[in-house]
Amino acid sequence: MVKFIVKRLAMMVATLFVILLITFLIMHAIPGGPYSAGKRLPEAIQAALDEKYNLNAPLHVQFWDYLQGVLHFDLGPSFKYEGMSVNDLIAQGFPISAALGIFSMAFTLLLSIPLGIIAALKHGKWQDTFIGALTALGVTIPSFVVATLLDYFLAYKLGWFPVFGVATLKGYVLPVIALSGFYLAFMTRLTRSSLMDVMRSDYIRTARVKGLPEYKVVFRHGLRNSLIPVVTVLGPTLAGLLMGSFVVEKIFALPGMGRFFINSITNRDYTAIMGFTLFYATILVVLVFLVDIVYSVIDPRIKLGE
Amino acid sequence: MSQFTPNDWAPCGAARQESDQVSGASTSYGKEVLCQFARRWTAVLGVLLVAVTLVLAIVGPIFSENSYDNQQRTYVSTPPLLPVYDVGGQHYYVSTSGKLLLVDGEGMLQDAAPSLGEERENKRYVYELDGETYYLNYRSSPFTLEDAQGRQQPMTRVWNRRFPLGSDYLGRDIMVRLMYGARISLTVAFVATLVNLVIGILYGSVSGYLGGMVDVVMMRVVDIISSIPLTMYVILIMVLFDNGGLTSIIIALGSVYWVDMARVVRGEMLSLKKQEYVSAAHTMGSSTWYILRRHLIPNTMGPIIVTATMQIPSAIFTEAFMSFIGLGVSAPMASLGTMCNDALETLQIAPYQLAFPAGAICIAMFAFNFIGDGLRDAFDPQMRK
Repeated sequence: MVKFIVKRLAMMVATLFVILLITFLIMHAIPGGPYSAGKRLPEAIQAALDEKYNLNAPLHVQFWDYLQGVLHFDLGPSFKYEGMSVNDLIAQGFPISAALGIFSMAFTLLLSIPLGIIAALKHGKWQDTFIGALTALGVTIPSFVVATLLDYFLAYKLGWFPVFGVATLKGYVLPVIALSGFYLAFMTRLTRSSLMDVMRSDYIRTARVKGLPEYKVVFRHGLRNSLIPVVTVLGPTLAGLLMGSFVVEKIFALPGMGRFFINSITNRDYTAIMGFTLFYATILVVLVFLVDIVYSVIDPRIKLGE
Repeated sequence: MSQFTPNDWAPCGAARQESDQVSGASTSYGKEVLCQFARRWTAVLGVLLVAVTLVLAIVGPIFSENSYDNQQRTYVSTPPLLPVYDVGGQHYYVSTSGKLLLVDGEGMLQDAAPSLGEERENKRYVYELDGETYYLNYRSSPFTLEDAQGRQQPMTRVWNRRFPLGSDYLGRDIMVRLMYGARISLTVAFVATLVNLVIGILYGSVSGYLGGMVDVVMMRVVDIISSIPLTMYVILIMVLFDNGGLTSIIIALGSVYWVDMARVVRGEMLSLKKQEYVSAAHTMGSSTWYILRRHLIPNTMGPIIVTATMQIPSAIFTEAFMSFIGLGVSAPMASLGTMCNDALETLQIAPYQLAFPAGAICIAMFAFNFIGDGLRDAFDPQMRK
């Protein structure tokens, strides 16, 4: 177990280092990027950049400096907003994006697993067909279309929810639905097919032969094993939810991290782009790492360290 | 012993032959897969949809006199089904920008009718049509055409011949833009498939076949690449190429889109390379490259085709997603994503502007998903009877 964790941890650090290096080099390659001299910038920002990045030093020294800054959780001053650091931008946007992500994850799991169970147990009946049709829609309709339609009909036309913003908790409802749509459909399908596989296996027959009531067969014996594939896709799902929030935050005008990130790209706020990229990458890599650990803990059949 | 005659030991000819008879011609593997595939109506529908889209995207724009970037400011946001006023046998359409447009008998939008002036205090334009005075009332949306007594004129609906699917908020033809958008989507789909087929297969098969340290290193690289979402790479490459538009999306897809395929191929290779026929080929002195090309890659074709098809919808979606958040193709080029984004501005007065591109994306996703599902089942031996 320890060996496995150490190995994965090393992998995680290596990944982050590579990402750091890539972003650093890309930012270096851009003409007019944060590291090139001789562009028109407000004096204060130029001074801050010069001081911060030691622009006249050789490349590896600059990288070393940047690395040290990152290790001290200092992502540098913003390129566009005078007096703001990238840390400030992240601190502003992260709580909203995180809330959006957590709500969406909870919504996805709480709804997709029961739906998947129903579809699998009622295999071939109308419930299954109905859920199947819904998931087909969910997988194919892009999140930005769902978000727009929800915003237009439920918020603008019917006025049930705020059209934009998250001043109240109610403001989260539509963004969460729009964001989870795809993953909800995807996980429902996954739960259904995996539970159907499990219910065909020998130990389920044994459980039935023992005379266990059906609910015990399904929930004690069937469901546990069938949820393992669901756990494996939790990591990619989290990644997808984080990325998907770009669009949802844009449509519902939520002041989250995704919107800051997109703005920083259109504004060519290079330091912010680097900072956000690193921040996102770190969150993702750490979350996927945690999911991997959980995965290996709940499924003893997986040989650790291999 | 005498109850047996030599005849008893004669071969029982006819009956044997019948049981040995092969009923029907033997089918090749590919043919069988094709039959299995054709048996699913959704899969066939998917192929048809893709074929129709392909034809429309390639030759469609030739047949329209409008181009994707021609802004006809007289005709902004005209819907496909025009609500028109019938005045003295002539049809008039009131545009969202407050102009009175003549519509001829075929439903072709003509030039704006000349106004006699504006009555600012009453918020209306004065027109003389058919010898009488009419007022275009812009007090509240939607604008209405009234006669001198303030009565709203009778309305009918005619199809918009100039813009069969309507025009967008800048007066550009939505149908032509959709076709150009489909071109971009299909280009992206093509690039994704190409990258999968070339880099993905080579990388995966080399890694899986050689094994050992090579495999470990190559798979670590894949792990690192796939631990970051594609969107992130596209963004970084966008920034690097500074508004590269379609080029940077293609480069981004091309540089990282093969990792899933590489994993699938590697997994197949790991199990296939232990087969006897590979050892046999090896003993006969075949080179590694020859074994890969002649024996191993053809045998993994099933999973390869399925994976490649399954990757297409996500590539199309990625392009639309990036264009939607403003990181994709640059204006005035039309992509389904940018069209959806443009439609947001005018959603309240012209929801059809969102409906067409969004519908097109959904159809593309459905079509490729159907094909992918069909192929997966067709290649799955368990699905055969």
